[in-house]
Amino acid sequence: MIGSIEVRSLSRSFHTTVRRPGFTGALRSLVNPERAVKHAVSDISFDVAPGELLALLGPNGAGKSTTIKMLTGILTPTSGEARVAGVVPYEDRERNARNIGAVFGQRTQLWWDLPVRESFAILRDIYEVPMAEHATRLKEFDDILELSSFWDTRVRHLSLGQRVRCDLAAALLHDPPVVFLDEPTIGMDVVVKEQVREFLRHQVEQRGRTVLLTTHDMTEVERLAERVVLVNHGRLVLDGTLDEIRRKYGSTWQVRATLADAHTEVVPPPGIALLRQEGPQVVFGPDGPDAPTVHQALKAVIERYEVTGIAIDEADLEDVMRAAYVHAGPGAKGA
Amino acid sequence: MNAVKIAWRVTRLNFRSQLEYRTEFLLMVAIGAIWQVSVIVFATVLLTRFTGMGGWDSSDVLLIPATRMLAHGLFVLVLGRMHGIGRFIQEGQIDVYLLRPMPVHRQVQLQYFPTNAIGDLTVATGLMAGALSRSHLDWNAGRVTYLIVCLIGGMLLEAALFTAVASASLRFPTADYWSRWLEELLGTFGSYPLNVLPKAVGGFLTFGLPLAFVAYFPAAVLTGHGHDTGVPYWLAAASPLIGVLAYLASRLLWRWSLNHYTGVNG
Ligand SMILES: Nc1ncnc2c1ncn2[C@@H]1O[C@H](COP(=O)(O)OP(=O)(O)OP(=O)(O)O)[C@@H](O)[C@H]1O
Ligand SMILES: [Mg+2]
Repeated sequence: MIGSIEVRSLSRSFHTTVRRPGFTGALRSLVNPERAVKHAVSDISFDVAPGELLALLGPNGAGKSTTIKMLTGILTPTSGEARVAGVVPYEDRERNARNIGAVFGQRTQLWWDLPVRESFAILRDIYEVPMAEHATRLKEFDDILELSSFWDTRVRHLSLGQRVRCDLAAALLHDPPVVFLDEPTIGMDVVVKEQVREFLRHQVEQRGRTVLLTTHDMTEVERLAERVVLVNHGRLVLDGTLDEIRRKYGSTWQVRATLADAHTEVVPPPGIALLRQEGPQVVFGPDGPDAPTVHQALKAVIERYEVTGIAIDEADLEDVMRAAYVHAGPGAKGA
Repeated sequence: MNAVKIAWRVTRLNFRSQLEYRTEFLLMVAIGAIWQVSVIVFATVLLTRFTGMGGWDSSDVLLIPATRMLAHGLFVLVLGRMHGIGRFIQEGQIDVYLLRPMPVHRQVQLQYFPTNAIGDLTVATGLMAGALSRSHLDWNAGRVTYLIVCLIGGMLLEAALFTAVASASLRFPTADYWSRWLEELLGTFGSYPLNVLPKAVGGFLTFGLPLAFVAYFPAAVLTGHGHDTGVPYWLAAASPLIGVLAYLASRLLWRWSLNHYTGVNG
């Protein structure tokens, strides 16, 4: 289907040789190398619908980049299947390449020695984009990313943040329905980060692109993604909305309310616990595994009681993720 | 022919960007030329002092380094970037190439403009002109055509050797050191009649590392020494074909290696 990503039981392992300590160890390894298999990605399945932005999250070494490399045709999976816009990326690499745009934050796809605009022109030729269309799109990208102040500079002279912005533009110049972004905002200052987020939102909402994003920046996840897929040690741990993740791992919200009548008898709604009560001040927290989200709790409290003031404290996403990563750590089976 | 258009555009831009670094550019051209001249001086002294090298006339024997160098210059110009690719692999540049709808091999060739090829080709052309002007052979259309075909064959053969090493580098980036050894070897033994070398060495340079097919066999066939090269005449005469076949085989190897590419982490 146009713009969709389908991943089925995708796995990739790497063969490495184990280093033995010391000099004799090194000699022994030379004669009789001890082989080890690293399961970078094991049996991962998920879907991304056309026009959806999905954040692929997980700690360092979880297998995020490896997954993206298989979906972009850089790596062939050990087993399993994937389709990107209906194409099997590792079997039909060049056709897949026309359907996707990709940015790997750490590395550039622009020609190192050429001014950025020349790189854009080469890409226009490669993807056979009509002149007028190219100009319009470039204008559109420039409006949000402010590229024109440095796009006549050679790539090697750009700052990291400037370069990645150019890379983003370069990846989208041929109007691909599917976009892969592996840590696209790495090394950007806060203003530029916000620019890039706006750009991505625009691309998803106005242009209907499907985006698969990895990042370690939780603010970004909150601003951009509704759905996330969490991986750890190569396995899928969770596929759901941010709210679901919060509910599962971040049961640390509090709703603080001031009641109009200090003598109200407080019987909290199901899934919500009364943590403290001092006169008119009451504090609620989640209760049990089926606790509502903080927003649902807020609504329930307002509906049930006459309140004159209300405030929420929410565990921020970083805390939630920390809990999730630890929870899904070694030995833990996926949820 | 979009592919040609892109290749042309990229080459033009690469060339222009090298021109902008003027000193670097001139140095590159000069180093290519000086390198070749030094090889030529050495070879010419050796070849013309000892007349009858391997039973060859000194004017005939010049055809060997001339063919080898011209083929090499063409290789550097057209297919040369395969060599020294290990660094690009380690930097993850191959990942980037795999993202574009274009054969990776072609993108490697379009990496940068081979400025040193200008020097290589200038000197090689000069040497070939010299060799031809001293030659007593009748340069009819047949001979000229055969020479040109052999130059292309020699270019492809050299490209095949470096593509094979590059394929290995995809797996083991340190394999790149082999390409330096290979370059040395081609430069050292490429310019002489191999029948002056010990049989084992000659055999190795024919069947192991098929350097003999680049210039020695073609020159032997052209100058009428084709029957005493140590291999059947038809084989020596088929040198260009060997070059084409070796190149095709190396491209298959390259493709296989790309499919088994494990990437660099990061
Ligand atoms: N080419 C390779 N050879 C051997 N092991 C590899 C290779 N590529 C990745 N790995 C291993 O696979 C695992 C997953 O790596 P990957 O790069 O996918 O992680 P990641 O989720 O992107 O991490 P990060 O957040 O740090 O970018 C790691 O343990 C890594 O060491
Ligand atoms: Mg990564």
